[in-house]
Amino acid sequence: MKLRKKVAAVASALATIGMLAACTPGAAQEDRAAVSEFPTSWDEEITIDVFDGLANYQGMQEGWFGKLVKDKFNMKLNIIAPNVAGGGDTLFNTRVTAGDLGDLIITDQGEKLDELIAGGLVLDSAPYYGAMDDAARFDAAVARINEESGGTYAFPSQVSSIKPTEPSEGLDPTFGPYVRWDLYKEAGYPQLDTLEDLLPALQKMQEIQPTAPNGQKTYAISLFKDWDGNMMNNAKQPTTFYGYDELGFVLAKADGEDYQGILDEDGEYFRALKFYHDANALGLVDPDSTTQNYDTLWTKYQNGQVLFSFWPWLGQAAYNTEENTAAGRGFMIAPLQDQTIFSYGAPAYGGKQVLAIGSKAEDPERIAAFIDWLYSPEGTLSNNSQTMGAAGPEGLTWEMDGDEPVLTDFGKEVFLNGDAEVPAEWGGGSYIDGTSALNISAVLPIDVDPERGFPYSYKLWPSYQALIETPLSTDWSTNMDDASTTIDYLTKNEQIMVAPGASYTAPADSSEIETLRNQVKATVVQYSWQMIFAESEAEFDSLKAKLQETADGLGYEQVLEFDMANAEDQNDLRVEVAKEFG
Amino acid sequence: MCDRPSVGAGNGDPMTTSGVIQELTATGLEESPKAEQAERRRKQRGGRRPSFTMFLVIVPFLVLIFLFSYFPLYGWIYSLYDYKPALGLQGSEFVGLQWFQLLVGSPTQVAQIGQVLLNTLAISFLGIATSVLPLAFAIFLNEVKAPWFRGAVQTLTTLPNFISWVLVYMIAFSLFSSTGLVNGVLSDMGLITVPVKFLDSDENVWITMTLWSVWKGLGWGAIIYLAAISGIDRELYEAAEIDGAGRFQRMWYITVPQLMPTYIVLLLLSVANLLNNGMEQYYVFQNAFNKEHIQVLDLYVYNIGMTGNNLSMATAIGMLKSLISVALLFTVNGIAKRVRGQSIV
Repeated sequence: MKLRKKVAAVASALATIGMLAACTPGAAQEDRAAVSEFPTSWDEEITIDVFDGLANYQGMQEGWFGKLVKDKFNMKLNIIAPNVAGGGDTLFNTRVTAGDLGDLIITDQGEKLDELIAGGLVLDSAPYYGAMDDAARFDAAVARINEESGGTYAFPSQVSSIKPTEPSEGLDPTFGPYVRWDLYKEAGYPQLDTLEDLLPALQKMQEIQPTAPNGQKTYAISLFKDWDGNMMNNAKQPTTFYGYDELGFVLAKADGEDYQGILDEDGEYFRALKFYHDANALGLVDPDSTTQNYDTLWTKYQNGQVLFSFWPWLGQAAYNTEENTAAGRGFMIAPLQDQTIFSYGAPAYGGKQVLAIGSKAEDPERIAAFIDWLYSPEGTLSNNSQTMGAAGPEGLTWEMDGDEPVLTDFGKEVFLNGDAEVPAEWGGGSYIDGTSALNISAVLPIDVDPERGFPYSYKLWPSYQALIETPLSTDWSTNMDDASTTIDYLTKNEQIMVAPGASYTAPADSSEIETLRNQVKATVVQYSWQMIFAESEAEFDSLKAKLQETADGLGYEQVLEFDMANAEDQNDLRVEVAKEFG
Repeated sequence: MCDRPSVGAGNGDPMTTSGVIQELTATGLEESPKAEQAERRRKQRGGRRPSFTMFLVIVPFLVLIFLFSYFPLYGWIYSLYDYKPALGLQGSEFVGLQWFQLLVGSPTQVAQIGQVLLNTLAISFLGIATSVLPLAFAIFLNEVKAPWFRGAVQTLTTLPNFISWVLVYMIAFSLFSSTGLVNGVLSDMGLITVPVKFLDSDENVWITMTLWSVWKGLGWGAIIYLAAISGIDRELYEAAEIDGAGRFQRMWYITVPQLMPTYIVLLLLSVANLLNNGMEQYYVFQNAFNKEHIQVLDLYVYNIGMTGNNLSMATAIGMLKSLISVALLFTVNGIAKRVRGQSIV
């Protein structure tokens, strides 16, 4: 009997372990007293874990931004970045299973946030909201994103006081056909009626400059695979030149006029694939495309090895340095006659990502104060990324000259030449390395600073506009109806299509749709790449047929139907928001 | 098992503890006529004590086996749920056999799994087919007379075994990428104008993958054969030499047959691992172009579960692997029974 008892005891002990392992910690939240004002100083130094779905840097926040946060909140930020860790949602899932995602959480609205709220992993910040004066300026957005959950679990990103029917982007749209203007000029400003006309023009440009200054071969087009999702990311980009943006497997036009499945026979997605395929046949596509990552590509742009960019924040940001633009070299938007570029309207109720406080946070009050600060003018100027035009802290990179902000010498060095050494009293180190690694804009940089009456983004300041007049911009402007900026040119020529910022979040996929989607998208991405690098037109067509067949077999139609319904909901919301704010 | 009558005690039946206790009660009730017998039983009981102690000795291992081989089977329960990490298993929706139905739901899906199994088996069989290489390598290496050269070759060929697959891929990448060494040399020599795509092509994926693992495992695999060779009786060679056998004849008629038992054991072990060809190698080498032929079962499970973020579906596919393994085991067992008249399990 003894042995049987022992066996029974061991078995039940093991079973208990099993039960424990299967359990997730419950949402035990004690009541917290409401606060109406945050303390101005904090005695004890703490380090918080920031789970940041947007960050591209993992580790302690260093440099001037780290020092700023330390001085203000006596707090250090330990950034946990799934983007750096890789493996998709693995890190998210493991941490969630362990019951503690982080003290400060930056994640997506919709499925992920809902799951976190249901699982009790995020804190209801209602007790602190009374003290969050800066966040409260955007109360409508805060209220909207917390509408369904009933608490104050999340805080919005990208809020502003700009109308949702206005572009949210500032000087340049998010997408656009940017070419190396100096070479385009040398090629004799070829006429570009439509997308496909870019090919002969790019070919000519590549012939003019077959090798970059570093001795490497130049290619008109270079691609990368890091951001492939529902479709091949790079193949979506040309469709945005005609007003489309993705929503699942749907390409939806900004004005709600057209919805396409990505695998529609004569659709825009296949047109883009054909465009790249033809480019490859002409020898315009970098053979490294299949294996390189974004970082490698960025370096290639910096070195002048790539001549076409579908994003200004890639080509221009990497290549248009002071030295290059002074010599007339740089990326500028090409005059594609029939383009209607997709532009994101300023989101009325915030962007896709949200900020939230983890339920296991040691000092939630301080984190709430920190979140609130991100909405303040000082926080906005410091936290936004410099590629978005964030001006940085006053006194370091810029100062007020009378009632107008101007860049300091240090600021000019940073923003025009790429980087500079930060003075010791600001924390030292490189300015760029010391910028905020959070990579989230609480407030849109193009919004106007209520304290000073100028936009947060230095790129929109008159003093900066005067500063960056270069041979490149003058030549571009002369050839583009004397436009002052890209947005100016596009607006004048009605070549921009603003999708009202409706802050739409697609509902979570049901588990069945999600499974089907994951398999279909893997197939779409795989075949898209193969089609671009197909040896012949015939192979391109046969791969295309095979893609459509396989995707159909895996349930593409079912997912498309679901996405189509979402796309229409999104459009209804856009119309509604445009009416309400417009 | 506790219902066994006490009479059975002395006739060599395997005794359980409860049996012993019952037996004791029984002897206590019975009177002297069988005192002698009782004495003997007591002795026997004393003799059984060590066996119980021995049992205690193996208990830790039983517990470990239970914990690491049977307890994880509990995880199969995830395949019946729509598991969401934040909600835990209790909070997740019970979906019954939905994932299994999805697996066989469409012909394309079935074809995809079929392709994955084909890849798995093909790469495994190529691996088994190449398992004679370490054997041959060991035999030839053994014939090298200069010890320093032998040592050097052995070290150099064993070394790759300790390089992780990620680093192997780095090597492969710097050699074979479109800007790699091989393409560089070929285009400098004027043999090609467009770089040859070695890594991102769908041609001969199974063979190239096998070659990489042979390169990595050759020296390591030879170690066990070298050890076996050193155990072969020298007299056999001397006798053969006197009989006029040449060097190759000695290798063929003595070394090879002497190594066969070792080889067969290793072969059997690798058959048992047919579906376990791991995933690291294929994970690092996979890309859009070779995916169709490189996706082995383990990698497929990873791609669905981790990259595709569906742990429940991945569990369901993983169970498939267990089922096939059990089927394989019984097949091999059946063959062994017929051939040797003795079963393995």
